[in-house]
Amino acid sequence: MQIHADPAADPAAEWRHPQPVAPDRDAAYLSLRHARKVYQTRTGDVEAVGLANLDIAAGEFVSILGPSGCGKSTLLSMVGGLESVTEGEIWLEGARVTGPRRDFGYIFQDPTLLPWKSVLDNVLFPIRTQKRPVADYEAEAHRLLEMVGLGEFKAKRPRELSGGMRQRVALCRGLINDPRLMLMDEPFSALDAISRDDMNLALVRLWDSYHKTALFVTHSIREAVFLADRVLVMTARPSRIVADLRLPFARPRDVTVQDTPEFNRICAWLRDQIQAGYGRPEQTRGG
Amino acid sequence: MQTASTVDASAQAAAAQAAAASAGMAAAQAASAAAGRRRARLLALRRILLPVVAAALFLLVWEAGTRWAQVPEVLLPPPSAVLDRLVSAFPLLMKHAWPTIWQSLAGFAIATVLGITLATLLSASTIIRETLYPNVVFFQLIPKIALAPLFVVWFGLGPEARLSFSVFVSFFPVVIATLAGLDNVERDLLRLCRALTASSWQTFVSVRLPHAVPYIFSGMKIASTFAIIGVIVGEFITSKMGLGYLILFASAQAETALILAAISVLCVFGLAFYGVVALCERWTIERFGDRPR
Ligand SMILES: Nc1ncnc2c1ncn2[C@@H]1O[C@H](COP(=O)(O)OP(=O)(O)OP(=O)(O)O)[C@@H](O)[C@H]1O
Ligand SMILES: [Mg+2]
Repeated sequence: MQIHADPAADPAAEWRHPQPVAPDRDAAYLSLRHARKVYQTRTGDVEAVGLANLDIAAGEFVSILGPSGCGKSTLLSMVGGLESVTEGEIWLEGARVTGPRRDFGYIFQDPTLLPWKSVLDNVLFPIRTQKRPVADYEAEAHRLLEMVGLGEFKAKRPRELSGGMRQRVALCRGLINDPRLMLMDEPFSALDAISRDDMNLALVRLWDSYHKTALFVTHSIREAVFLADRVLVMTARPSRIVADLRLPFARPRDVTVQDTPEFNRICAWLRDQIQAGYGRPEQTRGG
Repeated sequence: MQTASTVDASAQAAAAQAAAASAGMAAAQAASAAAGRRRARLLALRRILLPVVAAALFLLVWEAGTRWAQVPEVLLPPPSAVLDRLVSAFPLLMKHAWPTIWQSLAGFAIATVLGITLATLLSASTIIRETLYPNVVFFQLIPKIALAPLFVVWFGLGPEARLSFSVFVSFFPVVIATLAGLDNVERDLLRLCRALTASSWQTFVSVRLPHAVPYIFSGMKIASTFAIIGVIVGEFITSKMGLGYLILFASAQAETALILAAISVLCVFGLAFYGVVALCERWTIERFGDRPR
């Protein structure tokens, strides 16, 4: 990055993650070791993830920012065991990830609800599929649906909901089995600004109490910074991780952090990084 | 001050206007809702009435035409003559309808079960699919009626020949439709199943099969008519019973009115059969399917 030619003048020095890679990688909770993904397509190879090399500690909430098509969803799929890793390895709790696990919680970019099941049954779908006792999770399903404001829609079919409501059902479904690792791919991108703020707050409140590890892909810089303990920025393909910030905001996190100058400085810096990742000149930034 | 009071006054006027408008709107809404319901009822009535009127008109023209032109009854009897024959030969018609009906129903049921089973196997195993599916398509393409005499050779002159031929004819639409339903599941839903560590059996039961239900029914609707065709063709070839036999027998006797009476019975049965399948479809899809309750 030519703008930070002088490392001493790096304005983000104070936020940079001191240790992207843990000293003892085997002890790290989640470890992406030189992971690379190449899709073989009819029209040639597509290098979806160029290089991902970092460790994530248990309980860390990590946001991932980057231009569209840079491989964020692919990265999540690899961690979740849904896509193979072309090169490198992904380790979770001292074991190589070779496939999906019961204690993962997924929220895909699309809601992917079962159209013939009610909202409540969709939320309970992981429980039934994983042969857990449904009775133990029913109360939680109701609580989650109330939390996202869908209390009155439990008996409806997905077709009767709006796009944003469906995405909220998918959020509940991702949380229902009390997963240890949450993989969230732009879960709120279909929501209006107000509901999005509500959902962000709900998620932050959730993370106040139980500390789960999360990878959260988003296109909203403010959302990424508000929710996370750590923010990664990916470049356009072939993507690499160009920034890794540890955010200086404490938990339980208050809404008002968004108004602090530091929050805004971080957001501005991240915007520059993402723009640089697009390969566009700095001047194109308007306003 | 003055501006404030004018604003105030105009706000009041606006509020009054809004109240009046909303009262008027409510009345207008109620009226338009009632009108809408009336229109919907009329439309529904029209959908039933129009085809009935058209059919009645057709029969009337037929009746008048054959009488006016004095068409010989052997060539084309008027509908009234067919009705007379239907009434007078009713016990005979029912006697022959029964074997046709039970063989069609049984053929349809067996074809449905076999068809869904084969489609399940085809979608479950790549090897089975690669081995069998091209052959299924091949059989689907050949004119199956041409094979009917073979079934007589294999199964003799009894009902087995007609039943098995009926199964053979109506089985393919069920296989093809079911397989399409099991296969056309959105990839994202399959991804979800994989993410939840669902077994392939669980994926089949909770995603593929429910998704295939509408497809299966569209195959079954085709199969219901094919099953009757299969039985009738079988009866044409060799039988001492059944509506197909009766039609052939009546044509040998030049009893055209009896032929048409037998065909009428066949039509009523076919319609009822199709209707029951369609009703089952509606019920099933409303319960388990995609449509809102
Ligand atoms: N299954 C696949 N087969 C082939 N290429 C793929 C596949 N999935 C993704 N790609 C390609 O890999 C690249 C990265 O895709 P990915 O979905 O990971 O991007 P993304 O960062 O999530 O984008 P967005 O922000 O738009 O969701 C894209 O260029 C895409 O065309
Ligand atoms: Mg994506």
